[in-house]
Amino acid sequence: MSAMPGIVAINTFREAVRDRVLYNLIFFALMMIGAAILVGQISIGIERLVIINLGLSTISIFGLVMAIFIGVGLVYKEIEKRTLYSVLAKPIHRWEYLAGKYGGLLLTLVVNTSFMTVGLAAALYYVGRPFVQSDASILIAIYFILLELALVTAFALFFSCFSTPMLSTLFTLAIYVTGIFANDIREFGKFTKNPVMEGLTRVIYYVLPNFHNFNVIGAVAHGDSIAFSLVWQNTAYAVVYVTLLLLAASAIFSRRNLK
Amino acid sequence: MSVAGRTRSLWTAIVATPILLFVLAALQVRIDAHTRSEAAQKQDLLVRSGSLLKRMSLGYDSLLADVYWTRAVQYYGSRIGQRGENFELLAPLLDISTTLDPRLIVAYRFGAIFLSERKPLGADRSDLAVDLAKHGIAANPNQWRLYYDLGFLYYWHLKDYPDAATAYLEGGKQPGAPLIMKLMAARVAEKGGSLETSRMIFAEMYESTKDKNVRKILMKQLRALKAEEDEMHLDEVIAEYRKRFGRNPASTKEMVAAGLLPGVPVDPVGFPYVIGADGKSHLNPDSPVELPKP
Repeated sequence: MSAMPGIVAINTFREAVRDRVLYNLIFFALMMIGAAILVGQISIGIERLVIINLGLSTISIFGLVMAIFIGVGLVYKEIEKRTLYSVLAKPIHRWEYLAGKYGGLLLTLVVNTSFMTVGLAAALYYVGRPFVQSDASILIAIYFILLELALVTAFALFFSCFSTPMLSTLFTLAIYVTGIFANDIREFGKFTKNPVMEGLTRVIYYVLPNFHNFNVIGAVAHGDSIAFSLVWQNTAYAVVYVTLLLLAASAIFSRRNLK
Repeated sequence: MSVAGRTRSLWTAIVATPILLFVLAALQVRIDAHTRSEAAQKQDLLVRSGSLLKRMSLGYDSLLADVYWTRAVQYYGSRIGQRGENFELLAPLLDISTTLDPRLIVAYRFGAIFLSERKPLGADRSDLAVDLAKHGIAANPNQWRLYYDLGFLYYWHLKDYPDAATAYLEGGKQPGAPLIMKLMAARVAEKGGSLETSRMIFAEMYESTKDKNVRKILMKQLRALKAEEDEMHLDEVIAEYRKRFGRNPASTKEMVAAGLLPGVPVDPVGFPYVIGADGKSHLNPDSPVELPKP
């Protein structure tokens, strides 16, 4: 395997930094400081809970916004600016280019999330909460958020290979929302008591990305530990799904007429 | 644009920004004057179904639960002490908070107090408070404090001593429960309604609560119970005085002079008790202590 995907990834990351994507960290920092100071005054008994819930939810929401809105423009922007042609003129396969783009955005998300994690730890320290062993679960929750973002980014990239940014955004959002309701869709099938409907909803349930798998925010906020089996199962789930999407994206992009 | 033009634009922006922000704030004050009273009257919950909100929250249900709990606290805090206030939205707000996060123990515990306290300190809805506590126990069967709160609701507000004893006993079986739970169960079963038992329960609640507002309510109750206990004791001394002198004492000073009391008795905030025309002891009319209503 050539070093090309790595080079493309680094350049994608640099481009995101140049586009001031990481400025969202300032907003995150202000929000965490505000929450840490205010919550104790306007509510009762939930300072720690709010900091963890708010911190993890914000990491997830900001990450999702970045993954979707940057992800859908990764390929399209380069086609529009015609910079893609000069890149593809070099000894690089199209799938390597796609993998590099994906890796670059993932790197941006990891860096962004890492800074936010430090901000969350600082806010928890500010509210006078000593760090305990069960806080490792917060790191696992953040890892799960990253897995979720990796999956969303893969969807955004996949759609952007054959669609406009506007439509890709809509498709990715639709997949994300539907994926959250995957359990409900299966339950709906059972509710109908119709074998055909039940079978269909079961197939949909297994085909759709189940984003609910990655949500342990509520559990870790209450100090629950996360089973190691869930960690490796979620990791494997995300890796398999992302591989599938990147393969499909590469297949489409390789056949795409760029003239 | 020339350098001079750019500088002029910059200064225009620097000067105009605070002026325009001030104009916006002034306009908002006027708009608020029109809409605030109307909004206060119309305050309502657009969505009352916790389950629906849970689905609409797209996985961020625990954060939304914190938001609704904070809203419930603000709602209660802004209305506490107001005569004629029914706290209509309190129960739905608590229901939504606990449906969104069934493990939000704080919402069950304080929510039950907000709901059960007599008006104007609360909604005076012990029935809803019991429902909330039971809902909490169903979702968190190992949390002994929820049984403790349920026992308190039965004991103090509903005067249902057998159910109170059962709740304390069940709570005492949960992991981490202090021995006092079993003691309370025995006490309530044996001497339900005694002032001593009530004081023990309130004192335990006071010690285990950190919130200022709730501690204020509990302290008020503790003072009332102490005053009630004092009055019972003073009435016994008045009866003794009557037996000796064939008349009621005019004041507690007379009982001190007769050697029946070591000093002038005062209520928990320092006001001396008075003796009424009915020959019974009463709180000083200036005293802020309020006895529990029968």
